[in-house]
Amino acid sequence: IPDLGHKYYLQFTTEDYKTGENSGSCLATVLYPKNKSPPVVTIKCVPAKDPKEIQEEDKRLYQKMRHQTKPITGHNIPDSYGNIEPALEPVWALAVAGSSSIMWEKSRENVGYFLAQVKSVKQWIRKDDLLEFDYTVLLHEIPTQEIISCHMRLTWLPSRSLKVKHFCASENQELNEGSGMGSGSAAEVLQERGANF
Amino acid sequence: MKILLVFSSLVAATCSKQLFVGDQVLRITPRDEEQISLLKVLGEQEDLQVDFWRHPTSLSHPADLLVPFSSLQEVKSFLEARNIPYSIIMEDVQKLLDEEQKNMTKSRRERSISTFDFGSYHTMEEIFSWMDTLVENHPNLVSKLQIGQSFEDRPLYVLKFSTGGSNRSAIWLDTGTHSREWITQAIGVWTANKIAEEYGQDPSITAILDSMDIFFEVIVNPDGFAFTHSSNRLWRKTRSLNPGSHCIGVDPNRNWDAGFGGSGSSGNSCSDTYRGPYANSEPEVKSIVDFVKSHGNIKAFVSIHSYSQLLLYPYGYTTTPAPDQKELHEISQKAVAALESLYGTKYKYGSIITTIYKASGSTIDWTYNQGIKYSFTFELRDTGRYGFLLPATQIVPTAEETWQALKVIILHARDNLY
Repeated sequence: IPDLGHKYYLQFTTEDYKTGENSGSCLATVLYPKNKSPPVVTIKCVPAKDPKEIQEEDKRLYQKMRHQTKPITGHNIPDSYGNIEPALEPVWALAVAGSSSIMWEKSRENVGYFLAQVKSVKQWIRKDDLLEFDYTVLLHEIPTQEIISCHMRLTWLPSRSLKVKHFCASENQELNEGSGMGSGSAAEVLQERGANF
Repeated sequence: MKILLVFSSLVAATCSKQLFVGDQVLRITPRDEEQISLLKVLGEQEDLQVDFWRHPTSLSHPADLLVPFSSLQEVKSFLEARNIPYSIIMEDVQKLLDEEQKNMTKSRRERSISTFDFGSYHTMEEIFSWMDTLVENHPNLVSKLQIGQSFEDRPLYVLKFSTGGSNRSAIWLDTGTHSREWITQAIGVWTANKIAEEYGQDPSITAILDSMDIFFEVIVNPDGFAFTHSSNRLWRKTRSLNPGSHCIGVDPNRNWDAGFGGSGSSGNSCSDTYRGPYANSEPEVKSIVDFVKSHGNIKAFVSIHSYSQLLLYPYGYTTTPAPDQKELHEISQKAVAALESLYGTKYKYGSIITTIYKASGSTIDWTYNQGIKYSFTFELRDTGRYGFLLPATQIVPTAEETWQALKVIILHARDNLY
């Protein structure tokens, strides 16, 4: 669009990150302004699953993690050999959802990301019902091929928003003040984060 | 085999030197659904630190439970009080681990093809040792050449598959340019083994090797590879020192003399796409350049990377289409179809610059400009879910499907010599 930037019209399907099942379809527009400021996005998705079912799954995931009496910790998820300990899968799933919000904020027309690895995770036990985790995640940046280390603090309660605060530092450059907050319904996020992974 | 896998994962998890002295593994056979629930509750008790190796899911499947020494008393009382039958299948886990460690060390020294596990990731030393075994087992077909030395003085080995002749038309294959792309070195080993196995068995491979040679460099970047094992799993570049900078390494896929210095590479030594001070500054790259030039008769060049599931041909440094674009595109289509036919893995294909992004100074742009028409790059599995950390269970399927695509390219080269 002359003087404004590039606008993309997208139609895509999403799949469950874990099972690969179809989880819905979306229509979106993305406008990348000429001045390199963050893109303007409109998106509407139709989930394949019944919202009640999604709620149930969220609840189950929540209970699984809530059940621990000791704070969950872990590192190198997956490990060098691609393995993820079954006990750490829920915490990894949350990392995927949370880091997608970081990637959402950082991506540009010609810069994209993948989650390369969860370097470390530590749970903070709270007096209230919320789950809270401190993560260090490694993002693989395209096309620079850099591995970006981001510190991510995530809080979650089913059927409420997944709140993410992050701070990313590039290994090889000056520290970027990339902190920000992203929020969205966990159910939505956990379900949409299928994409093409 | 299962025990080996189980112990491998235990060993991998014990990098912090955790011991399992006196710990036991119990095989538990629940009698009814209630007992299954009780077992699940047992598993969730944090203070007991028990670990299900096989979960209690149904009445027809026993559960295996690792119980730390300190919890044995309590767990056994729990089971006995509720009449849940169990037996001790491992009396002392540490003892078995120690034995297994001995065996693993022993089998690493064993010079036998049949014990090499192609379905797991190996160290550089293990791969080099296996190469020698391959040569020993196929002395009339395979030889090992050294084409140079890496920055840190590691050998740059190339396997030569040849049934004779003198400077026959040849195919070049390589894996491990970017050290973190572990699936590539892993399928490199499988593929080299496959080529050796198929000679005399598969008619097309036999026909190819009867008239052409194959050169295969499995570990293009040994310094980087060693570094991914010892220090940083996600290291990509070489490990050369950059004068005046604290940052190490050059991107071996931006160091070639084709569009060198262009915007599809970085001039910052700290960048993961750093091109290097000048083209061919990296011995890992220069060795291949010298080899290709002095051989003079290479007809196809395939450089294997990961991840993204793509089959790419030149150019990466310019949008100008390669003169042979049409033919390369057709070959790619066939190769990708062959790959997909095995497990349904979907690949995209096209020139580097239109399919992935601009890349200046990349390998196959140089080889193509040298006149090696059939120059291709693969980006293997997956598309980002595991990325560089692809689980070992995918090694053999990836190798098998890629082999289908490689055969298409190799056969086309053989049938269209120029």
